[in-house]
Amino acid sequence: MNLIRAEVERLGARRFVQLMIVLLMLAFGVTAATTLAGSHQPSAVELAEAQRQAAANLRGLELQHERCLARDRGEPLPDDEGFYLPPDCSELDPALRDRLPVAADYLTGVFTFTRQAEPLLYFLVAYLVLFGFLVGASYIGADLNSGGVVNLLLWRPRRLTVLGAKLGTLLGAVLTVSVLATLAYLVTFWVIAQVAGYPGPTNVAFWAELGAIWGRGLTLVLLAAATGFAIATMGRHTAAALGAVAAYLVVWELGGRIVLQILEVARPDQLMLASYVGAWLAGEVRFWDSTACRTVTDGYCDGSYTLTWQPALAVLLLLTAGLSAAAFALFRRRDLI
Amino acid sequence: MTSGVIEIEGLRKTFHSLRRGRRVAVDGFDLLVEAGQVHGFLGPNGSGKTTTLRALLGLVRADDGRMRVLGANAPEQLPQVAGRVGAIVESPQFYGNFTGYRTLRLLALAGGVPVARVDEVLEQVGLADRGDERVKGYSLGMKQRLAVASALLKRPELLILDEPANGLDPAGIREMRDLVRALAANGVTVLLSSHILAEIQLICDHVTIISQGRRVAAGPVAEVLAGFDHNEHLVRADDLARAEELLLAAGLTVTGHPDHLVVSGVPDPTAVSRTLGEQGVWVRELTPLRPDLESVFLELTGTPAHPGVPRQVDGSAPPGDPAGDQEIDLGMRGVDA
Repeated sequence: MNLIRAEVERLGARRFVQLMIVLLMLAFGVTAATTLAGSHQPSAVELAEAQRQAAANLRGLELQHERCLARDRGEPLPDDEGFYLPPDCSELDPALRDRLPVAADYLTGVFTFTRQAEPLLYFLVAYLVLFGFLVGASYIGADLNSGGVVNLLLWRPRRLTVLGAKLGTLLGAVLTVSVLATLAYLVTFWVIAQVAGYPGPTNVAFWAELGAIWGRGLTLVLLAAATGFAIATMGRHTAAALGAVAAYLVVWELGGRIVLQILEVARPDQLMLASYVGAWLAGEVRFWDSTACRTVTDGYCDGSYTLTWQPALAVLLLLTAGLSAAAFALFRRRDLI
Repeated sequence: MTSGVIEIEGLRKTFHSLRRGRRVAVDGFDLLVEAGQVHGFLGPNGSGKTTTLRALLGLVRADDGRMRVLGANAPEQLPQVAGRVGAIVESPQFYGNFTGYRTLRLLALAGGVPVARVDEVLEQVGLADRGDERVKGYSLGMKQRLAVASALLKRPELLILDEPANGLDPAGIREMRDLVRALAANGVTVLLSSHILAEIQLICDHVTIISQGRRVAAGPVAEVLAGFDHNEHLVRADDLARAEELLLAAGLTVTGHPDHLVVSGVPDPTAVSRTLGEQGVWVRELTPLRPDLESVFLELTGTPAHPGVPRQVDGSAPPGDPAGDQEIDLGMRGVDA
């Protein structure tokens, strides 16, 4: 417990951590300020007009669907010129759409919480992933490089306990910062929507979806922190983690992708870590496989495929656990000179 | 059975690297430090001193050999005795942005030492007025004092100091000497590695000399020096050439120098004055030439300087070579004796 307390204090006192938190607050402040400055509370007239437009748009969608169904029933369509009706009418069924038009879609210059909460949260998660990775890598990297770990091991000559305490402290601290930052962030934008914007229609589904993104985002932040920590431990330096990620992105995500395309390998996105990160964060991601329809000469061919969050989580967990296990195994046997 | 506070027997350590290949750092080294000793640990650069200390403290994995610290097998049982061992290894590094006080406080916290002890050790090493300054502003000597303070935090029974006088000014060296003496007077066993041989001679009661990874001398300082006492005397006389003739004629071994003679193998100097006086040659100076630790060290390790020939770090003589001669073990009981 004393070790954890000391590590929490050490982590909190690190300049880099403080700098990253200041940058986070700065980005937060700038985003909130610009949002506040560029938004106004909609008047009753604006709101009524937006609601009218949303209702009209919804009615238009329903009419299209009804026309399509009427065509299937063989009924005459007097005024259907100019409208494309797909063979499968379910494609036009408003009930099957991801989302229906709402008043917020027709409000201009108005910050609408329900429309913008998700992209705002994705932005914060992206920052926190970067924060977690860099703090995780620099925390142990600087300690190994400066001899701080050696100093500590002279006091607590249990390598795995010391490294475990550091990793645990890191994950706890990153989780705490992430939870507090995301809550403060969302609450701030909720308040902005209340006083200078439009909250939008919130329901259980909206909050559940936002909560799911939040939970998946926090998990990704923790995985990034552990990955940065593990790579820096193996490389004995913060730069090792940064170099490894840069090398991976350039060599595999860019170079490898080009080579796979040239070789016409099926579903190359399945071999890219970024696909799994995206699938985990978004719940699922659809990719197009250009090789799937090569042999189809006539008729319809759907070359798309989906990565869902379950295999994405498995891949990310396996990767992080593997790197962490390797880091602990290496640290246990390494000569600290 | 021994009462060794530190017992090392047959320690071997070889480093392997792709660039430099295989390098034997410690080659069957033995060390015995008994309770209450202030034990000097000497060796040229690259002779294996720091590797030995690191292996003893569990920072480097030994390839072979047996080590015990305060009765506990090292490194397996080190956690049991770590609270009783204070150590600094080479030049310890600290976070530059932390103050001296915070640096020690975190170590105290991690080691379960009362934080009040921090002020005591800062006072003890002369940093009481500078404890609230950032370490990056410290001079090398101040960092060294901070390192010693960190080793003293635990009120250790055994203090292992690797080059504690590094960077200290003459006053600081004297303070360090007084501190070590005071600790020894309070029953603390001290193992002190240093290049400042005069300091070792002043502070230590026992000494072990290592060269090319092997012990070349060990025992009480006085006895190690006595082992190199060739009963030499410096002689100055009014007629140096005649004096040399007379002494040679008397069967003594004489080495001539421009302004003096060195007579060897003369346990009783009156033989010199009598031989010369009886022939009317008057002695102006008759000084016994006692070996100091520096001359013994240089002779044992084969590292005397030769004008115009830069000595390489690994250029010391291996034990068994003419320069290294046989291992001298005076008054040291074997580890298993």
